[in-house]
Amino acid sequence: MELAWYALLGLFFATYLVLGGYDYGVGLLLARGATPGARRAALNAVGPFFLGNEVWLVAAVGILFGAFPTLEGELLSGLYPAVLGALAGVVLVTAGVQLRSRPRGGTARAFWDRVVVAGSVLAALGWGALLGGLLQGVPPAGDGHPAGVGHLFTPFVAAAALALLALVAVHGATFLTLRLPVADVPSVARLARGLMPAALTAVATATALGLLSDRVRAAVARPAVAVLLPLALVATLLMARAALRRGRAGLAFAATSVALALPVPLVGAALWPRVLVSTVDPAAAPQLTDAAVLTVADAAASGPTLALLGWLALPLVPALLGFQAMCWWVFRGRTDGRAPVYW
Amino acid sequence: MDPLLLARLQFATTTSIHFLFVVVTLGLVTLLVGLQTAGFVTGKPVYERLTRFWGQLYVLNYVLGIATGIVMEFQFGLNWSGLSRYVGNVFGAPLAIETLVAFFLESTFLGMWIFGWHRLRRGIHLALLWGVALTAYASAFWIMVANAWLQHPVGYEVRDGVAHLTDFGALLTNPTLGFAFGHVVSAGLVTGGMLMAAVSAAHLLRRTPDYALFRKSLRIGLITAALAVTTLQGFGFAQFGPVGKLQPTKFGGGADRDALVADWTTRFGPGDYTPPALSSVGLGFMILIGFTLGCAWFLLPLLWRDWIIRLKFPLWLVLLAVPLPFVAVILGWIAREVGRQPWVAYGLLPTGQAVSPVSPGLMLTSLIGFTLLLGTLAVTNWVLLVRHAARGAHDPALGRPPAPDADHHPHPVFA
Ligand code: HDD
Ligand code: HEM
Ligand code: HEM
Repeated sequence: MELAWYALLGLFFATYLVLGGYDYGVGLLLARGATPGARRAALNAVGPFFLGNEVWLVAAVGILFGAFPTLEGELLSGLYPAVLGALAGVVLVTAGVQLRSRPRGGTARAFWDRVVVAGSVLAALGWGALLGGLLQGVPPAGDGHPAGVGHLFTPFVAAAALALLALVAVHGATFLTLRLPVADVPSVARLARGLMPAALTAVATATALGLLSDRVRAAVARPAVAVLLPLALVATLLMARAALRRGRAGLAFAATSVALALPVPLVGAALWPRVLVSTVDPAAAPQLTDAAVLTVADAAASGPTLALLGWLALPLVPALLGFQAMCWWVFRGRTDGRAPVYW
Repeated sequence: MDPLLLARLQFATTTSIHFLFVVVTLGLVTLLVGLQTAGFVTGKPVYERLTRFWGQLYVLNYVLGIATGIVMEFQFGLNWSGLSRYVGNVFGAPLAIETLVAFFLESTFLGMWIFGWHRLRRGIHLALLWGVALTAYASAFWIMVANAWLQHPVGYEVRDGVAHLTDFGALLTNPTLGFAFGHVVSAGLVTGGMLMAAVSAAHLLRRTPDYALFRKSLRIGLITAALAVTTLQGFGFAQFGPVGKLQPTKFGGGADRDALVADWTTRFGPGDYTPPALSSVGLGFMILIGFTLGCAWFLLPLLWRDWIIRLKFPLWLVLLAVPLPFVAVILGWIAREVGRQPWVAYGLLPTGQAVSPVSPGLMLTSLIGFTLLLGTLAVTNWVLLVRHAARGAHDPALGRPPAPDADHHPHPVFA
């Protein structure tokens, strides 16, 4: 039962990274200094999906609270600065995208576009730091010492945050090759390919720093899985690059989507059966005590709660997926000048 | 600084901002459903124009509902980790249900509704708005289930210091839920109706060329507000029953309170178990506002032969009354939430035990940062709303037909 909920939580968060990831990627690319028309076209490509994308985050946090209440409290408060950053970013992007076209003046619009860029950067860095923070462990819970910021900010977490930023940028550009009118595709495809080396470097750096970090080595229960993550990321990125070169936009988007989804299952598997590890000073305590480890089973809500939510989720999750699929189907294909423009 | 104080301040500010927007959402979406359905049934163009105009304002308002709502949701984990540790098994369930049943679908439907004009068949487009409205009500319901549980914990048993769910049905029949939900929904309708009437009144006072359209929305808004204010008063007074019985410390004294405080003192140790005076101060003002808004009934006869428009001063009254429902909702929530202090979950979990072990500096950063961020966004949003409302109904961006060179036979998907 816990495992099923853990998987569902992973599914929602991974889908959020894929879908929200291209929102933020497209948001980042607004910084390119393109013409107002091009920026609007890019946002319009996201258009009808935008509201449906970020609810995956809302639902993931709902599942976290309902099915893993203990984890919710420990995780969010343990990685406070990362969550704050991500949250501020999500808020800025949400407001910026929807409000940018409401004023009529060009300067106001340019200002909101900058808000969207800043929000996208913050959101990508924040979620990257959160995933890195999971691999590195959080300050010990419940010992009365309030958590500060120093615990989170290590070179490894910074590298993980930058890696997600780079992945999101590649993903956003790839998404545009799939959605923009055919005439605009070559330039975004070139951009996506141009961003690849940056993404590969960022992933490599994060891997190297992770291998060097005592805390990461102490927290990870299955090193083999953890090493698989960067390898798989590199493979998907190379695949996306090859697909872009051949003009196979769908395949390239599938590959970058996998790249954004992968960190979630692999981080989960690398820590399994733990979810959260308290790392204080690994040099002083190389052997983790039981108290320092929160397993999936400990973190889960008790039986009746999970059963109740389970009966509810059984019919509901297919319905949710169905309505999202309806949205993708109705608005499938490339945008053209005639598509309704609202953002 | 005390992290507890900071966390409480942050919760109070973000929820209040959130509620100022969602109360409008709840009211307007109901009115919009009526408008679009009327347009669908009668085929009169005025209803489509009304739907686009009010829909534009609704969607603008919705932006901040989402932005602040997301912050709310994370705040439980960020600042109140004790809440999830001790009562998460019970309190988390309605919140999880809410996100899955309500928000997820609500936003998915709304995205399709915004972009679906001229693209979807009219029936499907209308069904999407119905979906948005039903899920909005569902979200309000489940949030109130969660809140009612904090007011009066039921259906649980404590084992090893942690609350476990035993009876989910008890959460749904919680005596602090029903009247409060009715009261909140009525407050939404009053606020939405007043807003609609006031914006229309402003246009009519400016001698708008769109006379027929704003005359119609003035009437719809005013009648809605008048009907809803009556249920609002009813549910409001009805709440005193369960509150007085179950939360004797909330609004004043009596033997019940002394007995409860004595019981808590033996179980939790001596302490100050009376809520801050703030809680009952606002209550009287809210009730006063409730009766003032009840005067909407006196304006209804003036709808006859449009006397309300010809006399002009009633339009000014409507316009000036707009802030009242917003003040009242905040006062009402302060009464409800501050009144249950010093408990997060009344009689079960003291507020002090629920706060996260986070350094005060970090918490202060978060408080100031999010207050500034959401406050600025809220003010900007209101400015945009006022500007859009003032601009009138000739060509809102929402539902604008595709570019002029577009083909004139849009191919509806699902044809
Ligand atoms: C348009 C806004 C509005 C107006 C005019 C009123 N209320 Fe109200 N009131 C609310 C909006 C509201 C609210 C914001 O929606 C609250 C907060 C919590 C709740 O359930 O509803 C509330 C709470 C609330 C409570 C607290 C319940 C508790 O502590 O659990 C009581 C006793 C009343 N109301 C009673 C009244 C009465 C007798 C009114 C006048 C006739 C009145 N309210 C007018
Ligand atoms: C204090 C606890 C609350 C939490 C955790 C919370 C959470 C949220 C979240 C996450 C959203 C955004 C959903 C999206 O992305 O579409 C939201 C929006 C919304 N909330 Fe809340 N909320 C709270 C209080 C309330 C209350 C008291 C009500 C009403 C009675 C309410 C009604 C709504 C509605 C109707 C929306 C839809 C969006 C909008 O209306 O603008 N919420 N809320
Ligand atoms: C949207 C309307 C709401 C408003 C304006 C509101 C207002 C407040 C205020 C003023 C406080 C601070 C109390 C104090 O410090 O004395 C508070 C605390 C709190 N409220 Fe609400 N509230 C709302 C709805 C809700 C709902 C729906 C929930 C639960 C689902 C909730 C849960 C909490 C919690 C957990 C706290 C923190 C602990 C505490 O100080 O008691 N609130 N709220």
